[in-house]
Amino acid sequence: MSIPSQDNAINAGSLTRILIYTLLIFFVIYYLLPLWVMVSNSLKTLDEIRGGDMLAPPKDITFEPWRQAWSQTQIGVEATGLKPYFFNSIIMVVPAVFLSTFLGALNGYVMTKWEFPGVNLIFGLMLLACFIPFQIVLIPMARILGMLGLAGTLGGLIMVHTVYGLGFTTLFFRNYYAAFPTELVRAAQIDGASFFQVFWRILIPSSGPIIVVTIIWQFTNVWNDFLFGASFSSYDSTPITVALNNLVNSSTGVKEYNVHFAGAILTALPTLIVYIVSGRYFVRGLMAGAVKG
Amino acid sequence: MASLTIDQLTKSFGAVEVLKGIDLDIEDGGFLVLVGPSGCGKSTLLNCIAGLEKTTSGEIRIGDRNVEGLHPSKRDIAMVFQSYALYPNMTVRGNISFGMEIRGVDKAEQEKAIQEVADILQIGNLLDRKPSQLSGGQRQRVAMGRALVRHPQVFLFDEPLSNLDAKLRVDMRTEIKRLHRRMGTTIVYVTHDQIEALTLATKIAVLEAGYLQQAGSPDEIYNDPSNMFVADFMGSPSMNLIDGLLLERDGGLEIEIEGYGDTKISLPAPDTAEMRGFVGKPIVFGIRPEAMTDPDGADRTSPQIETRDCFIEVSQPAGSDTFALTPLGGKECIARLRADARIELGAFAPISFNMTKAVFFDPSTTNRIR
Amino acid sequence: MRDRLQEWVPRIVLAPSFVAILIFVYGFILYTGWLSMTNSRMLPNNDFVGLANYTKLFGLKHWSIALTNLAIFGTLYIVICSCLGLFLAILLDQQIRSEGFIRTVYLYPMAISFIVTGVAWKWFLDPGIGLENTMHQWGWESFQFNWIKDREMAIYTIVIAAVWQSSGYVMAMFLAGLRGVDNEIIKAAQVDGASGVLIYRRIIIPMMRPVFLSAFVVLTHLAIKSYDLVVAMTGGGPGRATEVPATFMYSYTFTRNQMGVGASSAIIMLIMVFSIVVPYLYSEIRHGEKNK
Repeated sequence: MSIPSQDNAINAGSLTRILIYTLLIFFVIYYLLPLWVMVSNSLKTLDEIRGGDMLAPPKDITFEPWRQAWSQTQIGVEATGLKPYFFNSIIMVVPAVFLSTFLGALNGYVMTKWEFPGVNLIFGLMLLACFIPFQIVLIPMARILGMLGLAGTLGGLIMVHTVYGLGFTTLFFRNYYAAFPTELVRAAQIDGASFFQVFWRILIPSSGPIIVVTIIWQFTNVWNDFLFGASFSSYDSTPITVALNNLVNSSTGVKEYNVHFAGAILTALPTLIVYIVSGRYFVRGLMAGAVKG
Repeated sequence: MASLTIDQLTKSFGAVEVLKGIDLDIEDGGFLVLVGPSGCGKSTLLNCIAGLEKTTSGEIRIGDRNVEGLHPSKRDIAMVFQSYALYPNMTVRGNISFGMEIRGVDKAEQEKAIQEVADILQIGNLLDRKPSQLSGGQRQRVAMGRALVRHPQVFLFDEPLSNLDAKLRVDMRTEIKRLHRRMGTTIVYVTHDQIEALTLATKIAVLEAGYLQQAGSPDEIYNDPSNMFVADFMGSPSMNLIDGLLLERDGGLEIEIEGYGDTKISLPAPDTAEMRGFVGKPIVFGIRPEAMTDPDGADRTSPQIETRDCFIEVSQPAGSDTFALTPLGGKECIARLRADARIELGAFAPISFNMTKAVFFDPSTTNRIR
Repeated sequence: MRDRLQEWVPRIVLAPSFVAILIFVYGFILYTGWLSMTNSRMLPNNDFVGLANYTKLFGLKHWSIALTNLAIFGTLYIVICSCLGLFLAILLDQQIRSEGFIRTVYLYPMAISFIVTGVAWKWFLDPGIGLENTMHQWGWESFQFNWIKDREMAIYTIVIAAVWQSSGYVMAMFLAGLRGVDNEIIKAAQVDGASGVLIYRRIIIPMMRPVFLSAFVVLTHLAIKSYDLVVAMTGGGPGRATEVPATFMYSYTFTRNQMGVGASSAIIMLIMVFSIVVPYLYSEIRHGEKNK
C-alpha cells in the first residue's frame, strides 16, 4: 500500500506511545503464532511434538517431515507425497490465470473504450457473478464437465477457474481502463490502428500495474481454491489444497503432525512468496475487490 | 487540401439530440473555428467530422468525397486533442511515426518525414524522449507534429490550447496561425475561448444548444451579430444589451432608455422599415463597451457620435483602459474609457455613444432587427 | 465493408465471456433452481415436486443446525473482524515506525488457503498436542481448552481461525479509509480544541461509514460461502456441531444422494448472499454514475 501517512495521530505522551507499541507487537505475535507453530513443529520429530511444548523451537532439527510431505507420505491410495498434487496445481493455475486475465483485459477494454448499448448491463451481470456462492453451480457444472468429457481432468478445472475468475478480472481492468484517456484511443484510430492494434500497442503497454494486480489476485484465488478442486478433480488431477486436506483428515494410520505442518507450509508457500514479493499489488487487488463502482 | 462541407447534420445520443441540423462549410485552405459554451455540441461536431462519432443523419464531405461511414484513418484528416493524447509508452519519434507504421510506410521514408516535421516544429532534440519528460508546450508541439506528418487534407484541433498557461497559450496561438499560413491546409478548430476564435479564424461558427447560431468572418461575427446570443458570447467584456423603448419623434426614430434614478436618455435609432415595425414597443439596444467612451476618447472617424450624461457608479482601472459601470435600462453597463480619463464616482459624466456600431434586437425572439 | 466489420469486433470480443457468464452463472442458477423443485436424488431428474424440497429442508434438524451455526459464526466473525480491523487500523495510523512490516504481518493470512489455516488451527487448538498440552508443559496443570472437541463450543474455534485470517484484510480497508480523511477537517477539529480520542470518536470513525458497509458486505458473503475452513478444521463435527449451509449442501448433494434438497439449500444460500450484495452493488454503481 502506498497510502501517504498523515497527521491524524493522537498527540499523546510517551506512556500512550508505549501502550500503542505494546498492543501492536502483541498482535504481531498473534498473527505470526500459527506460522511459527507450523514451521517449528514441521522441523520436530513426532515424539517431540507428542511429548512437548508446541510453542517451543525444535530441539533437534529434522527435515525428514518435509521430505515425507513432499515425496513420500501416503495421500489417498499412493505414497507419493504432495509433489504430484503441487504440480497439478501449477498446471491448473498457470493457464487459468492467464486466460482469465487476458479475457478480463479484453472485456475491460471493450466496456470502457467501445461502449455499445447493453454493455453496462453485461458488466452488472459479470460483477454480480463475482459474489455467487459457488454451491449454486456445483451440480450443473458437474453435468456439463461430464458432457464435455472434462470431468475429473485438469482441463475441466482450468475451464471452471477461468469462467468464475472472469467477473473479477473484468472488474479490475474495467475500472483501470475507465481512467485511461479515451483520447489516446481516438488518436490511435485516426492513426489507422485497428481494434486489436489499439489494444496491444496502446493499452497493454500502459497496463503493467493492473496486470500484476490481476495475476496475483487470480493466482491466489485459484491456488487456494478447495471447493472446485474437491468437487471436480479425480485422483490424478487433485490440486494441492485438496490433497493436503486428504492428508490431514484421513482417518487411518498415525497422525503425523510434523508432516501435516510441512505439507501445510508447502501448500501455502507459493502464495506466501507472491505476497511477500509483491504485497503492494496484492493489497491493491484486495481493495479493488472490496470497493466497487 | 480540400474544402469541407457539412450538410443538414444531426447527431443524437439516445433520445438526446445534440446537433440539430448543422449546415456549414469552409473553403479549401480556410480556418474554421467552432466556438460556443461547453455542451453546445462543438466537440461532438468535430468528432463527427473525424469519424469518431457516427452521425445520425446528414452528410459530411471532404473535398467532393462523402466520408459517411469511413473509418477515421481513411478520411485524410489529422487531429490534435485537448489532452494531446500522446502515447505514453512511446518516444516522441514513436508517437509521430505510429500512423506511418500502421500504414506500412517504409523505415527510411518514416525517418525523412519525422525529420521534416521536427524541423518545422523545432522538436528535433526531443525525438527520443517520452511524453512524460516533456513540458506542456513541448507536448503540444509533438501533438501537432503527429498531425502534420500525415499531410492531411483537413486538420482538426480540439481545444488544443486549453491546458496551457496564459502566456504559452498566446505564443502557441501565434505559432498555429503561422503554421496555417505556411501549410495552407484547411483547419477546423474547436474552442470555447472567443478571443482564440477571433484571432485565428477566417470563419467562425458560433454554436449553442446544438444549433448553429451564426457563421461568418470574425468581423461579421463581432460587429454584425445576428442574435443576442452571438452578441453576448463574442467579445470581452461582452456587449451591453440594454432594454429600451423605441419611439417616433420629429419624424425620426429614437430609443428611450432608463438611466440612474428617474433620469432617462434618448438616442437616435436608424430609420428602417423593419425598425418602424417596433415603434412603441420594447427593444434591445446593443452596444460594445468600446463604443461607449469618454468624449475625448471617441472614434473621430465615426460620423455619428452622441454624447449623453450618464451616472458613474464604479470604475475599474485595467491598465490600458478604465472600465466604468453605469446603470442603463435597469442593468449595469460597461463603458470603456481611456486609461487616464478623469471620472468622478457617484456623479454624472458625459459618455459618447458611437452609434454606427449600435445594433438592435427584438427582445421576444432575440433576433437582430436590421 | 471492413469498417462495418470493425464495428462488430468489440461485440464479438465480448461475446465469449458474456455467453460463458450467462450460461455458467445465470443458466446454472436457473438449472439449480429447477432441480430444487424436482425429486432428484443421486442424479438429476425432471420429476417436478414443487416446493416439497424446501419444506423438507426447513424441517430438517441438520439444516437448522447449519443455519444456527451460520448465524453464530457470521455474527461473531463480522463483528470481531470489523472491531479488530478498525482498532488495528487506528493503532497503525499513529505514525508508527516500521508500519510497513507490521501491516505485512497483519495481512499475510489473507494470502493463505483456508485449508492451511484450518490445519494450523486444528492442531494448535487440539487438546492433545496443542495449546492445552503446551500450557500443561509450562506448569499450568488445570488449564483446559478443548473447544474443538466440544459440541457446544466447536463453532467458536472456527470463528477464532476465521478472524485470524480475515481481520488483517479489514484492517487494510479501514487504514485506507483513515488515510483518505481530509487532513483539514482534523486540523479544524484540533483548532476547536478536540482531543485525539474525541476526534476519532466524533469525526473520523463516523466518516468510516462507507468502509463499514464495504467490510460488512465482503465479510457477510465470505461467511455465507465459508466451506473450506470448516472442512479442514472440524469436517463439520464433532457430530454435526459445526455444520454450516455450505457443508450441508455438499454432503446432501454428493454423499447423501438428496440432490433436490441440496439444490434447494444452495438456492437459499444464493438468496442470502444476493439480498446483501445486490442492494450494495446497485447503490455503488448508482453512486459511481453520479460521480462521473
